[in-house]
Amino acid sequence: MIWIFIYAELLVFGILFLAYAFARARNVALFNESQLHLNRTAGAVNTLVLITSSYFVVRAVAAIRADRTRACARWLLAAVAMAGIFVVVKLGEYAAASAHGITMSTNTFFMFYWAMTFFHFMHVLLGMVILLAVWWKARHGAYSAAEHTGVETGASYWHMVDMVWIILFPLVYVMH
Amino acid sequence: MSETFTKTMARNIFYGGAVFFFLLFLALTYDTHGELPKRDNRQNLTEKVAMGKMVWEENDCIGCHTLLGEGAYFAPELGNVYKRFGNSKEAIIAFIKSRPAEGVEGRRSMPQFNLSDEELDALAEFLKYTSEINTAGWPPNIQG
Amino acid sequence: MQYSSQAVAKPYFIAAIGLFVGQILFGLIMGLQYVWGDFLFPEIPFNVARMVHTNLLIVWLLFGFMGAAYYLVPEEAETELASPKLALALFWIFLVAGALTILGYLLVPYSGLAKLTGNDLFPTMGREFLEQPTITKIGIVIVALGFLYNITMTILKGRKTVISLVLLIGLWGLAVFFLFAFFNPANLVLDKFYWWWVVHLWVEGVWELILGSILAFVLIKTTGVDREIIEKWLYVIIAMTLITGIVGTGHHYYWIGTPEYWQWLGSIFSALEPIPFFMMVIFAFNMVNQRRREHPNKAAVLWALGTPVMAFLGAGVWGFMHTLSPVNYYTHGTQITAAHGHMAFYGAYVMVVLAIISYAMPILRGRAAANSPRAQVWEMWSFWLMTISIVFITLFLTGAGILQVWLQRVSENPEPFMVVQEKIALFYWMREVAGVFFLVGLVVYLISFFIGGEEEATA
Repeated sequence: MIWIFIYAELLVFGILFLAYAFARARNVALFNESQLHLNRTAGAVNTLVLITSSYFVVRAVAAIRADRTRACARWLLAAVAMAGIFVVVKLGEYAAASAHGITMSTNTFFMFYWAMTFFHFMHVLLGMVILLAVWWKARHGAYSAAEHTGVETGASYWHMVDMVWIILFPLVYVMH
Repeated sequence: MSETFTKTMARNIFYGGAVFFFLLFLALTYDTHGELPKRDNRQNLTEKVAMGKMVWEENDCIGCHTLLGEGAYFAPELGNVYKRFGNSKEAIIAFIKSRPAEGVEGRRSMPQFNLSDEELDALAEFLKYTSEINTAGWPPNIQG
Repeated sequence: MQYSSQAVAKPYFIAAIGLFVGQILFGLIMGLQYVWGDFLFPEIPFNVARMVHTNLLIVWLLFGFMGAAYYLVPEEAETELASPKLALALFWIFLVAGALTILGYLLVPYSGLAKLTGNDLFPTMGREFLEQPTITKIGIVIVALGFLYNITMTILKGRKTVISLVLLIGLWGLAVFFLFAFFNPANLVLDKFYWWWVVHLWVEGVWELILGSILAFVLIKTTGVDREIIEKWLYVIIAMTLITGIVGTGHHYYWIGTPEYWQWLGSIFSALEPIPFFMMVIFAFNMVNQRRREHPNKAAVLWALGTPVMAFLGAGVWGFMHTLSPVNYYTHGTQITAAHGHMAFYGAYVMVVLAIISYAMPILRGRAAANSPRAQVWEMWSFWLMTISIVFITLFLTGAGILQVWLQRVSENPEPFMVVQEKIALFYWMREVAGVFFLVGLVVYLISFFIGGEEEATA
């Protein structure tokens, strides 16, 4: 069932991406010019961070399938820690943008930049809450090799968040 | 992933979704507050304009007119009436003053509100201030 | 009736229907004023008639919601109401305060009413739908708090079902967002921005929770479908409502001085707002198809099926029609908006209140489970008369709106408002005729209550 939810989420992001593409096509020059103001390094770091955390989540699922509860909890915590790095980097990026007076109203490109990355940012926060809930339950032995739906659900959600970023990053930061 | 969709999941989506989007809405509200000074013409928001808004409200003008497109659809849009009347407060005041108390035979007519000169001036000032709000180019033309 | 305290719902329902009649009469007066400009002028100017029309609508729907809560909460919580006396006292306070306010609108010039009630001390009057004197607004808050106390205590001491919890969240949300009615800054843009926190977050937010839970209750009772299934649907529907509807508020922030990114956000999210209504249609028809019993109250089932269909058409389809900002640029504040408003309010909120009244009233009147088949036939006739009339009202207003947009906004030589109004007068005449048919439907509805006999429970 989580899949219906994930498809719904992807649909919403898909609409946002389409709207972005539509708006960009009407004003390519503005988008290309504005894009240069973004911190690509921060974006790339965050991409690596999220991929790593997704890998940790994969390890967590593998661990619980082998009935290694404590390892599962540890991997989950590591994933949350990586997500924490993402949040810190992202906040730094937002602070720098604000300091330069770049807001949603600066132009259409930055409207999309803020709207899409912030919307995704909130998904990261939600994902962290979900992973922490799963971690807490895992630590208290709520999951086993036989029954670990919760872990898989949390993992699926996190991969979705990761995947959206992997599309978002090149689309907004790189693609010219 | 063969589990079925349980009521607990539906509940979590409801609570999670509601909180998530309300927070998003609050964040956007915060940003809007930051942007408004550039758009809402607050530098011209004088005492007189505030009084004009009171006159506007205490005579329920919104019950017939729209203001920036919101209100009733019985009488013309007034967000841009200052511009429509040739950027003239006097024209607005003269129009309001001239309304016949018994109406016009068979036609819609604005009531005679018997406003004082001070109230009339404040109201016109309020409509002038309103016409200078940045409304993203709305209405499409001067007819409102 | 399983719990004797449910009986307090009855006066609420009766008052609701009474005020509904008043609302329609004033609607007809306004409709006539559209084509016969000086009708009742200057005794009842259009703005006064409109205030009475819209305020009566809101008040009678609130009576309906409160009656619904008093009826369904004891049954859901499986316990008597915390305080039936309080419920009855609040009923009279609300009715008298409401009547006084309406009389104030009609007998005193509005500016006089403002002076009389000290609006200059705490100005909140004169904004669309929030025209009530400040003192009335405070009264509404007090009544709402007493009501919420009563309902909350009842649920706390009894069984907590999803239906009653969702209803409770909706009712609390209704009270909380109403508080923004007291915020009236001199800055027009800020005023408008938070005005929508009452209006939009009510009708496209928390009211839909109330709608969903009342509908779910009626469906559980009339179809006998497993509660688990119905509650799951309810959660998903209201989740979609808030996910799309909260940021969907942005579709009101296109042209009132707010930042332009709202044009994107409002368009995207409000374009998704029809989804929960569509799910509601599927939900209601599915439940009725899977019914485990033939409930003798066919009229109630008809209302329960009609509600989501008309809500989907009125709120969903007619809302979507002008919600995208490039379209709204031309349609904002025209008869298109009026068309959408009429069908959405009727489909979503009028019909759901009539659905719960249809289900509960026979029981409250001590008839076994339903009215006699003859009474039900009259009620179903009223359903079709009112519903088809509102469809025609909506279509005629849409026609008027399309012409208005064309002549006044789009054409190369835009014409002044009043010139355009005269050109589209024919549509207003047809709307008025459809309005008379609506009144006929309402009279048929009233008659159905005076047809005796009862249907034995067969379930």
